[in-house]
Amino acid sequence: MTALTLRRPSDPGTVTVSGSRRRLIGLVIALIVLLALLVASVLIGSTAISPAVVWKALFHPTDDIDQFAIRDFRLPRTVVGLVVGTALGVAGALIQALTRNPLADPGILGVNAGASFAVTVAVGLLGIRNIQGYLWFAFGGALIVTLMVLALGSTRRGQSPVMMVLAGVCVGAVLGGAGSALELTNPDAFDAMRSWNAGSIVDRPLDLVWPILPFFGVGLLLAFAVSGPLNAMALGDELAVAQGVQLVRTRVLAIIALTLLAGGATAIAGPIGFVGLMVPHVARWIVGPNQRWIFAYSVLLAPSLLLASDILGRVVMRPGEIPVGIVTAFVGAPVLIALVRHKKASGL
Amino acid sequence: MTTTPLRRRGAALTAAILSVSLVLTACGGGEDTAGAKPGDTAAETRTVTAGNGPIKVPAAPKRVVTIGNTDLPFIDMGGAPVGVSGAAPSEISLLPADQQETYKKATSVGGEVDLEKVAALKPDLILVQIPDAEFKKMEKQLTSIAPTVFWGLDTEWKALAEQLADAGNVKDSLTRQKAEYESKVATMKQTYAELIKTTKFVNLDRYSNSDPGTYVIGDIGCVEIAQDDIGFNFPKAPAGKDPLAYTSLPFEQLTKLSQYGVITYPADAEGKPTEVFAPVVDTNTWKALPLVTSGHALGVFCPGNNSYGAVLRYLDSLDKALATLPAKK
Repeated sequence: MTALTLRRPSDPGTVTVSGSRRRLIGLVIALIVLLALLVASVLIGSTAISPAVVWKALFHPTDDIDQFAIRDFRLPRTVVGLVVGTALGVAGALIQALTRNPLADPGILGVNAGASFAVTVAVGLLGIRNIQGYLWFAFGGALIVTLMVLALGSTRRGQSPVMMVLAGVCVGAVLGGAGSALELTNPDAFDAMRSWNAGSIVDRPLDLVWPILPFFGVGLLLAFAVSGPLNAMALGDELAVAQGVQLVRTRVLAIIALTLLAGGATAIAGPIGFVGLMVPHVARWIVGPNQRWIFAYSVLLAPSLLLASDILGRVVMRPGEIPVGIVTAFVGAPVLIALVRHKKASGL
Repeated sequence: MTTTPLRRRGAALTAAILSVSLVLTACGGGEDTAGAKPGDTAAETRTVTAGNGPIKVPAAPKRVVTIGNTDLPFIDMGGAPVGVSGAAPSEISLLPADQQETYKKATSVGGEVDLEKVAALKPDLILVQIPDAEFKKMEKQLTSIAPTVFWGLDTEWKALAEQLADAGNVKDSLTRQKAEYESKVATMKQTYAELIKTTKFVNLDRYSNSDPGTYVIGDIGCVEIAQDDIGFNFPKAPAGKDPLAYTSLPFEQLTKLSQYGVITYPADAEGKPTEVFAPVVDTNTWKALPLVTSGHALGVFCPGNNSYGAVLRYLDSLDKALATLPAKK
């Protein structure tokens, strides 16, 4: 079949009819995989509960103990996995496009460091012990620190990706040190941060997620809104400007989007590594450099990775569990190594 | 001779170490003299045997410094140390009021023991229970300050109490506590003979560093007294395996507790679930457990498990909780 070229072949936004269909089919498959994992996440746990009980728990609820386990534990962690995974995946794609750095992840702008430090302060100095209490500290910390990094990384000519990354690394190092000092002098903070830093989607009630959802919604909308300009910027700033892209506005909007997404995700689940780093790689490997497709695939693949890792963490050490942040690292590292060795996959 | 900056720094460091050693030695020497002064009894010595061998200690020590796990057991037996290494505030808050007062009067020598502070207190006896490796690092300095009696962490609590009481000259108090303990154990064995014979217990626990959404089946701590000394049937890890308490279980596993007859869980002195355990009690699964709804889930206060006084308070709490069971005997 002859492909119909709609735009210049060298443009990341280039779309062909056959390529488009292939990507669409891939997207449908990714959606089916995600749906299957959502179902599996509710069905599989550290105790054996029959599908019939799961069905009743969801659609004909009673006060049966097993049904409580489904509604109170498995359902919330599945929803949290879906939401947090989506946010981390798109945030990762944004930061990689923005910095043109295939090894960038949301943490590079200080999101994780800001959230961690704020939680340490909340636990260590204010005596807040539960996640309901320090959720907003984490979110606020992530936002404030990212804005600080944005300011530090800005020059008279606008934001420089390299400067922002350097500022993010520096601020992250300073806050990491200050947080460690606080943890070492406060056993309560040390204990709380040990769990929080592992990254987990367990015991996060849905009440915790709903208030963050509007921020995620805005983040996702902004991400897709800047995907076109980011495609142009991938060709270089001068070419992007020639195509009418406003560099400063695009960068600021992209940073706001990734801060809302990554900050919210980190506030809910703690720092979960590799999802934001790996999924955009996989997406790029499947669909090429077009940011719209990368974002669309990341929306589906990232929660799939997170849910698959969480399910794996529930069954490999039965009756105990491994926090999802540790599993994503175990699963993500080898896959990422394989991907970065694939030149085409890693290039931006 | 010319010295390089590195050598000069090395020389300065050596000088500093020597100075500190001299100060410590001087303090230790002064203490020895001072140790002989307070009273004639201090001049009399006896030999006690502990983890660091036979040690000559004053017959009636007047200025005792406790380090590590000896702080609270020594106070529990009526001892009044002049210096303590410091327990967590959460542990101190569980002590009876008089013991809290005694603790507050003592000078803290720091969790990371400040040897100069120890020396400044001019102790005539130092009682230590810390990891062997840590003790090795400061053994010389401590023994130069005062006779130092050391126990490793593997010393069983009853043996520690005996030897601590002997070294610290608080044996009378220990004898009273032991008698009370043995009487309490015998009474509970008799009162709950049927429960001991027929009922499967399980003790749940949660720690301040537990992952969210997890708890453990607690088989270490106070529950060992109920299990080993009274004979209640609590689950235990097979010999040679890690304690059950080392495996965190997801809240989902709460649904499996129906196989037991009685649940015990950590509570404060008033019987309310501890702050750390509260997330378990707050789940709907817990609230719907038949054992919970039928009154077979008992909050038990555990103020400590390494001295007779603390263990007696645990047994009192367990006794009180068991007495509320619908069919207790």
